Amino acid sequence: MNRRKFLATSLTASLTPLLPGCSRSQNPEPPRWEQSAYRKPKHSRVAILEAKNYEIPLADIISRGIELFHLDVKGKVVVLKPNLVEYDPAGVINTHPSVIAATIEVLRNRGASKVIVAEGPGHRRDNEYLLTASGLYDVLKEYTATYVDLDNDDARPIKVNSHFTGFPWLYLPETILQADLIISMPKLKTHHWAGATLSMKNFFGIIPSAIYGWPKNPLHWAGIANSIVDINSVLPIPQFAIVDGIVGMEGNGPIQGQAKHCGTFIFGDDLVAVDATAARLMMLEPTKIEYLAYAGKFLGNVMPSQIEQVGERIESYRKDFSVIPSFEHLKTT
Amino acid sequence: MVEKLIDFLLKSQNTDGGWGTVPGKRSQTEATALAILGLHAVKDNVTAQSLGRGLHWLIEQQQEDGSWPVTTQIRESSWSSTFAIVALTVMGSLGPQLQRGVQWLLAQKGQTASWRETLRYRWAPQTMPSLLNPSLQGWSWVPYSASWVEPTAYALIALKKLRPFLDNGHIRGRIHQGELLLYDRMCDSGGWNYGNKRVLGEILSPYPDTTAVTLVALQDRQTESANQRSFQALVKMLEQTHSGLTLSWAVICSSLYGQKSTSWQTLLTESYKRTGFLDETKPTSLALLALVDERVSAFRV
Repeated sequence: MNRRKFLATSLTASLTPLLPGCSRSQNPEPPRWEQSAYRKPKHSRVAILEAKNYEIPLADIISRGIELFHLDVKGKVVVLKPNLVEYDPAGVINTHPSVIAATIEVLRNRGASKVIVAEGPGHRRDNEYLLTASGLYDVLKEYTATYVDLDNDDARPIKVNSHFTGFPWLYLPETILQADLIISMPKLKTHHWAGATLSMKNFFGIIPSAIYGWPKNPLHWAGIANSIVDINSVLPIPQFAIVDGIVGMEGNGPIQGQAKHCGTFIFGDDLVAVDATAARLMMLEPTKIEYLAYAGKFLGNVMPSQIEQVGERIESYRKDFSVIPSFEHLKTT
Repeated sequence: MVEKLIDFLLKSQNTDGGWGTVPGKRSQTEATALAILGLHAVKDNVTAQSLGRGLHWLIEQQQEDGSWPVTTQIRESSWSSTFAIVALTVMGSLGPQLQRGVQWLLAQKGQTASWRETLRYRWAPQTMPSLLNPSLQGWSWVPYSASWVEPTAYALIALKKLRPFLDNGHIRGRIHQGELLLYDRMCDSGGWNYGNKRVLGEILSPYPDTTAVTLVALQDRQTESANQRSFQALVKMLEQTHSGLTLSWAVICSSLYGQKSTSWQTLLTESYKRTGFLDETKPTSLALLALVDERVSAFRV
């Protein structure tokens, strides 16, 4: 399939009705995922741990969070995927560098053979600027950690076994494909196109912009929710999530919103459940967030009855995150 | 510093003759074309052999349709073809490869919006999620998708450099349309970002590197107020941004606009000392051009 057909297919897909097809008996639509893409567990666990600010010993908290899931990283190559989409000195756009530093430290202490920090910024091509301005460069230097620009990494096409975008395959970076574990480390933020941007949307950044452009235009054309689902379904390696919810962003996220203190980390190995819990923390109804509604059918759990909540009680840390008017319907109050 | 930059490029050249974005990665068209331009600016016996191998790689990678892929493994046509065209032009390789490349480039058109969106822009632009004229056609990153600022700027540089050889009504028309698109996408304060000046009513800020690249593409219209305003915006942004990529483009832009850039060159040297430009081929090559080629012949149109 050449590029014209590839994009034409994706455009057609974006115009198709957005209802899931697998469970519908009348008016049957083609299934939107293959059996091989199904990985929804019967039950999931999500942990919320308190972290009041970025100055406290974060490594202790992250270590506790990882321990709750018995995450075995010994001898493994682990890729940390923070959110480094853009930089604004007055904003809170990115995963805080202290969180990344603490995670590197914890993973090394637990025997990871290599910890790589990797990102493919969707807007900016100036990696040196993004890293130095955000403070991540100093962390990488201090910990002598490797950074990989996923936008320009070597890549190869991987067959997509869900059919939300219509892309028959997605190019994925070799750094991701060769890792043993990828940890999504998003910021707890609202998003002006998707409602919320959390651990699953964060994987937009693994799609190489050298192939898809800055911004990753074909993904937007195919629908952001559709793209989030297909990207997450195509990832062939184990995933874990650590959400930086110490200070999140409300309003016109993911770039121009306002800081919102929430004082938490959210951990989990079912990213759908992590995002659903994070949405509840932000007082957004996850079943109304389009990508979670899709993903909840076959990638992970959305319903509270299927998510075991450990650590802090969600009620104690729930914060009323404002959203732009078009997402008011997501609010639980 | 110049010697270090040259040494880096010579040592990081892949065995196939191309350059990756960083050492150890597969050869990439953009990185290779820029490395060729950087080493060509030096023009000495040490770089001659490396240049020849790089040029050979570039010519070998051209596809049947005249385009270049992003990297060796991906065979789809790509935006980076414009860099290959510029490199071949600068190297004086004006043969059939270049002609096929230009034909491919001229055939590429960013997608325009539907008539409904065009009407909406005309009658109720404030209701559009992104405030931009959807009927203007520049160049896209990916064939058959929307026009964006950077690929349009790169295409204009390539086509304007070739105007003395290939001037005709069609090329003039595409250049004119591309310029209209760039001015339409200009941020309210001057300068450019990836391609949106307003989203959902919020004013977006320009980026210094994109601003400098776009000003380079519009260098033959530098007396226009939009260019002057954007150059001032660039100067202001550079008070905060001191990276190799941005400073290199800024120095190149500044030279083309007849402005002094000594302080930016100093900052460029300091940036290299601090980060080594993250070992990236692109800023290394551009820095070489910025520091060595006073006439900036690589990007002069």
